[in-house]
Amino acid sequence: MVATKKTKKTHESINNRLALVMKSGKYTLGYKTVLKSLRSSQGKLIITANNCPPLRKSEIEYYAMLAKVGVHHFNGNNVDLGIACGKYYRVCCLSIIDPGDSDIIKSIPGDQ
Amino acid sequence: MVKFLKPNKAVIVLQGRFAGRKAVIVRSFDDGTRDRPYGHCLVAGIGKYPKKVIRKDSAKKTAKKSRVKAFIKLVNYSHIMPTRYTLDVDLKDVVTVDALQSRDKKVTAAKETKARFEERFKTGKNRWFFSKLRTAVNCKYLVL
Repeated sequence: MVATKKTKKTHESINNRLALVMKSGKYTLGYKTVLKSLRSSQGKLIITANNCPPLRKSEIEYYAMLAKVGVHHFNGNNVDLGIACGKYYRVCCLSIIDPGDSDIIKSIPGDQ
Repeated sequence: MVKFLKPNKAVIVLQGRFAGRKAVIVRSFDDGTRDRPYGHCLVAGIGKYPKKVIRKDSAKKTAKKSRVKAFIKLVNYSHIMPTRYTLDVDLKDVVTVDALQSRDKKVTAAKETKARFEERFKTGKNRWFFSKLRTAVNCKYLVL
């Protein structure tokens, strides 16, 4: 019971941080731009939805390993991730280029 | 946040005639050029892999089996898959964009690349680079 409480709290905090990034920072949504941001070493944190196809997820993880960038597996599917980003479409993966006022980059990869 | 598409990086070509072949980045153009306004790189790769050499083979057979065919190509970044491997072969003087301008220059550059690749293969180093890509059927995850 304590475990579920903890994950719910951290899940909310990820959502809050993500909302702050959407408002104040730079980001790109979508597989193609995520890879582009990793190649150009602009991406600072990658977030993937939990129903991301396993091959695509492992490809993004491999690129992130080469670029030494953290990947966070969002606790929700692409619909939830889209909503968390404040968009009305599904988002399978996104890359945070500039976190703005948010501390998402400092706090989230540590949690993982 | 580390740039990894750098010279000497081993990559796998994903599209085109050489799809599935391993190559090494010789020169990278992150911001593109006038002719190619996208990130691309000059790669030198293996057209035909050397065959498996066994102890039983005679010297003549070993020489024949160790032959490598090389190619030189300008590839878009989105058509290559970078790997964690590197190949330290000095090809900067041989493989240049200039070499791709005419067929003769390309052939001579490819021949020189072939010689350097064969030399490296015979030392027994970089085995991963000179072996064919393991194609796993029904594999859900990336295995490189």
